[in-house]
Amino acid sequence: MKKDKIISFIFRIISYIIFFTIVFIFAFVIFDGIKYFSIDFFTQFPKNMMTEGGILPAIIGTIYLLTTTLIISIPFGVLTGIFLSEYGNNKIGRLLDTAITSLSGVPSIVYGLFGLALFSIALRLRTSLFSGALTLSVMALPIISSATREALSSVPDTMRESAYALGAKKTEVIYNVLIPAARTRIITAILIGAGRVMGETAPVLLTAAVFYSTHMPKSIKDPIMTLSTHIYNVAMAYGKDAQWMAKGTSSFLMLLILIIYLIAFRIRRKLNAK
Amino acid sequence: MQNDVIIKNDVIIRVNNFNAWYGEKQVLKNINIDFKRNKISAIIGPSGCGKSTLLRSINRINDEITSYKISGEIIFENENIYDKELDLTIYRKRVGMVFQKPVPFPMSVYENVAFGLRIHGMKNKIKIDNIVEKSLKQAALWDEVKDELHKSAYELSGGQQQRLVIARAIAVDPEVILLDEPTSALDPIATQRIERLLEELVENYTIIIVTHNLPQAIRISDYIYFMYQGELIESGLTSEIIKSPKNQLTEDYLNGRIG
Repeated sequence: MKKDKIISFIFRIISYIIFFTIVFIFAFVIFDGIKYFSIDFFTQFPKNMMTEGGILPAIIGTIYLLTTTLIISIPFGVLTGIFLSEYGNNKIGRLLDTAITSLSGVPSIVYGLFGLALFSIALRLRTSLFSGALTLSVMALPIISSATREALSSVPDTMRESAYALGAKKTEVIYNVLIPAARTRIITAILIGAGRVMGETAPVLLTAAVFYSTHMPKSIKDPIMTLSTHIYNVAMAYGKDAQWMAKGTSSFLMLLILIIYLIAFRIRRKLNAK
Repeated sequence: MQNDVIIKNDVIIRVNNFNAWYGEKQVLKNINIDFKRNKISAIIGPSGCGKSTLLRSINRINDEITSYKISGEIIFENENIYDKELDLTIYRKRVGMVFQKPVPFPMSVYENVAFGLRIHGMKNKIKIDNIVEKSLKQAALWDEVKDELHKSAYELSGGQQQRLVIARAIAVDPEVILLDEPTSALDPIATQRIERLLEELVENYTIIIVTHNLPQAIRISDYIYFMYQGELIESGLTSEIIKSPKNQLTEDYLNGRIG
């Protein structure tokens, strides 16, 4: 009994340490930059070598990039997940599964180089929103597809059988029963994927982002500024007077990611309560 | 054509020299049963005797299991249900199945009952409304849910959920209802309701129930089929079997010496 208590005490201490470290990082970054928030900060272009103005083009760029990425990656990811879970019990399925699992272990800079070589250069998309979105979609695919597969696999077999027993065909079972049953889990996974994609820097730097643009992107062929690449650029290439902008941008990006995760966890908690 | 002569009108499903395997393991051994129309037939026996497998084979729900192999025939209204040309969708509409654990679909009470109608192509809203109401009434659930037809089926109690899935099964107007231990997850009061319901339903449907609740089989069934280790040991009228079992194994089971 005494041993049990000691072990549980150690576990508790470790989880507290992890918890407070994470809270500290979030709080530090958010509060360090929140003082620079102002109406101008959210509505203006950067000015005077990033020492004045705001981050409007980076906010818009991030929204465009994230939306385009999700438009591409959700259908592919969800369909791949459905295939793996419902049709994947064979050689092709296992091969695809291995390929996708390995994809999720690739460092993001490698995705960036891959996107640069394939989308930007070989497919002549150059540095553009579209090239960046395609690259990030390849990154998001394993997150969304493996989460979809797990969500579908967690639906009890008895539910499949009940639908079959009524005469439903396989497609009807999948689309009318399994997906509605797994829907919340799939949405949670997409949100977590979105949070990940939003903070990605390296792949975006190589395929989509520019230091500075004087106008908003007009089509998916235009280059963009994003929050994450803006932080990197300002922090690396500009002087002391510009550092406030990196801090403010970090703070804002962190807040956005935090909100997305909180929504995802809320949905998950609701689901578990059921 | 030959079958027309052999099968008498009171037999609705004939199981003929039926064997089944999961991989190498044989789970059903040369089963021969004539299930009678508009009767409650109970398949009983200790766990692992193959009774659920037999029931699942009648709905062909084991088709999804790749290691599952069969030989022999199951004939429903003169048609071998394992014939390649059989339209499984139509067959399952005629022979419905209810499982041990009630599994409502992730939708409203109403949509659960309408599910089968919709997949069989019914679109007329008034017609669907009528059948949903009729099925819920038949399943003795209507009075409890009529004001909340559009709430999630998950909000119902376990006993209500089991009556809901029975309503869902009878909505498509089957001729046979297969039930796999439908009350094993329910409390005694809910169980009693389901049993009473089955006794009412048997006027219009043929009911085949698998149960390891022996008193239940005795209470509700017209015929009993006792299985042991994949074989059909004894079968006959329930009243006769409980009074004078012919086989020693049956007697042992009825007396609680095996099980």
